[in-house]
Amino acid sequence: MSSQFKQLEKLGNGTYATVYKGLNKTTGVYVALKEVKLDSEEGTPSTAIREISLMKELKHENIVRLYDVIHTENKLTLVFEYMDNDLKKYMDSLTVGNNPQGLELHLVKYFQWQLLEGLAFCHENKILHRDLKPQNLLINKRGQLKLGDFGLARAFGIPVNTFSSEVVTLWYRAPDVLMGSRTYTTSIDIWSCGCILAEMITGKPLFPGTNDEEQLKLIFEMMGMPTEANWPGVSQLPKYATSSASFQQQYPQQQQSKDLKVLLQANCKEKLDDVVINLLHGLLQLNPDMRLSAKQALHHTWFSEYYQRQT
Amino acid sequence: MSREISQTPNIDNSNSPSTVTENEDPKKPPNYKRISDDDLYRHSSQYRIWSFTKDNLRERRQQTNQRAIALINEKLGKFIEEKKSTLTEDELQTLRAKASPLSMEEEFQLINFYSKKVQVIAQHLNLPTEVIATSITFFRRFFLDNSVMEFDPKNLVHTTIFLACKSENYFISVDSFAKKAKSNREAILKYEFKLVESLKFSLLNHHPYKPLHGFFLDIQTILYGKVDLKYMGQIYDRCKKKITDALLTDIVYLFTPPQITLAIILMEDEQLISRYLEMKFGKDITNNTEDEKKEENKDVNETKPGKTEDKTKTPNDIELDKLLVVIGQCVDVLEKSESVTTEDAKRVAAKNYYCQNPSILLQKLKRKLEASGDDNGSESPSKKPKVEQ
Repeated sequence: MSSQFKQLEKLGNGTYATVYKGLNKTTGVYVALKEVKLDSEEGTPSTAIREISLMKELKHENIVRLYDVIHTENKLTLVFEYMDNDLKKYMDSLTVGNNPQGLELHLVKYFQWQLLEGLAFCHENKILHRDLKPQNLLINKRGQLKLGDFGLARAFGIPVNTFSSEVVTLWYRAPDVLMGSRTYTTSIDIWSCGCILAEMITGKPLFPGTNDEEQLKLIFEMMGMPTEANWPGVSQLPKYATSSASFQQQYPQQQQSKDLKVLLQANCKEKLDDVVINLLHGLLQLNPDMRLSAKQALHHTWFSEYYQRQT
Repeated sequence: MSREISQTPNIDNSNSPSTVTENEDPKKPPNYKRISDDDLYRHSSQYRIWSFTKDNLRERRQQTNQRAIALINEKLGKFIEEKKSTLTEDELQTLRAKASPLSMEEEFQLINFYSKKVQVIAQHLNLPTEVIATSITFFRRFFLDNSVMEFDPKNLVHTTIFLACKSENYFISVDSFAKKAKSNREAILKYEFKLVESLKFSLLNHHPYKPLHGFFLDIQTILYGKVDLKYMGQIYDRCKKKITDALLTDIVYLFTPPQITLAIILMEDEQLISRYLEMKFGKDITNNTEDEKKEENKDVNETKPGKTEDKTKTPNDIELDKLLVVIGQCVDVLEKSESVTTEDAKRVAAKNYYCQNPSILLQKLKRKLEASGDDNGSESPSKKPKVEQ
């Protein structure tokens, strides 16, 4: 069975497994082989069970496909569609000296569109990705982008209130999650999409915090401190009081958000228009209830050239 | 999740191009593809892999049964061939009479009996409703393609429950599970992968509990002021229980979750569901704008019935008569499914055991003869296979 594939170089480590490039010997098609060790005392790891379970439901052109699952003596191999690159590596490759470079805006738009298409499909299927970041966005030479690594993803129904808050890599983590909210839903992925959009424009992570406190500080510096007025209920979040106190101590005056456009323009060669900044604000709303849904974002004017082409 | 669509982000610059929302903007691209709930269900593995017609289902079970029969007969043939010279006429007769493979109907009885067992044990372990439902579903799907003559159903009871815990994200370690279930790690994990494989790696289930929740909210909206809330609460609890029982039947292969739900509510209170459906889908009373709004709001309205309707149809187009026929068929199947008695299950389990272990049948015969030969009258305790109580 597994001899059907020739194992090639290592591509990286996923959340719970090692990924290799592989070659399907009969078809000559490259695949990504995600190997899960089964030495665990718990049998098949539940992360693998969950990823398999979700990937079986998600057949979409902007979501990496799971072709097969192979079981050998002490490991489980998930056979995925192969993609040449991921967004993180691609952006790193554009760095000139020590200066990261943003992508060309038409490419940013194409990638962001595909990201939102894939995400909208997940959300329609009641699945949260929960770990969106450039490393998990796989791309190929044709400019296609697909969501990968559903190791942390999970299905949600009503009500959703028992998720752990330790998900999503820090830089892409939403403020509500950072402040200890456990009732998050699709809006958690939308925040990550906003961070990724800004990062594609400038080549730099938008909020590169090193711990929870700094992460919140960076977000509040840029977007302003949330209040009960613009985010009813925010003061009830477990970590609101401490983060708000330390922030106000540091910035007794500042209440207003910075001008996102000016900040991004400083690191972007092309001229940014208001339309993309408007979309970015829609994705990066502090109050999770105010964030756009993936579907709404796809209808944003910035994408008009795409949806008008649809038949 | 049921966020108001009209809540667009507050953006201070009112001159900037406003965000397009699904409901309000007249510029909404007319051709933008929309995925209906029906489309979503049709894409689900539950629909693609685990939905059948009655004939398909029967065929599939027949195949599984016949494959196992062939194997058992081959083994029995070999056994008799090898021992032929030493077998007495009595022994041969006993073998012919008692060591025969199970029929499809007998297999089905045993599967039904053990499905109930899965439910009872999972409930005893205090697992959440959805985990119990998934356990039952996994167990029954496993035995669509595997025969009870190949895998003793007893050995899969704990395995399916444990896998259901994993796939439903209800964490419990194998050791504490084993302790609670009075089993052991090796036994629980032995067939785990075989199970995952037999399930075709499709582990995500759509149980009727969510449609039930949705319908109850909608019934209270549609029949506002006309239903007693306390009464509705009681009905809800009874329906929930009935859903779990329905999962123990073939209904889940033949109908969609919302259809099953409507059938179950109907069995509880026919008048209630008739009034509701008449108000909602009846020709005269339907309020177009109201229903269109519902259609947009996918999250709340995920329980729309008529999953098999054409996707271009709005709820207004759902033909009430057609829907009632489908629900009627569903009720019919539910009412006709009967449970298996312990006695029947014991008989089938014994037959299953002897056809796989003919030598034990012979030993038993021998002991019986010896006992009567001793003129003692008291039959020695025969080693009978046990159906767990």
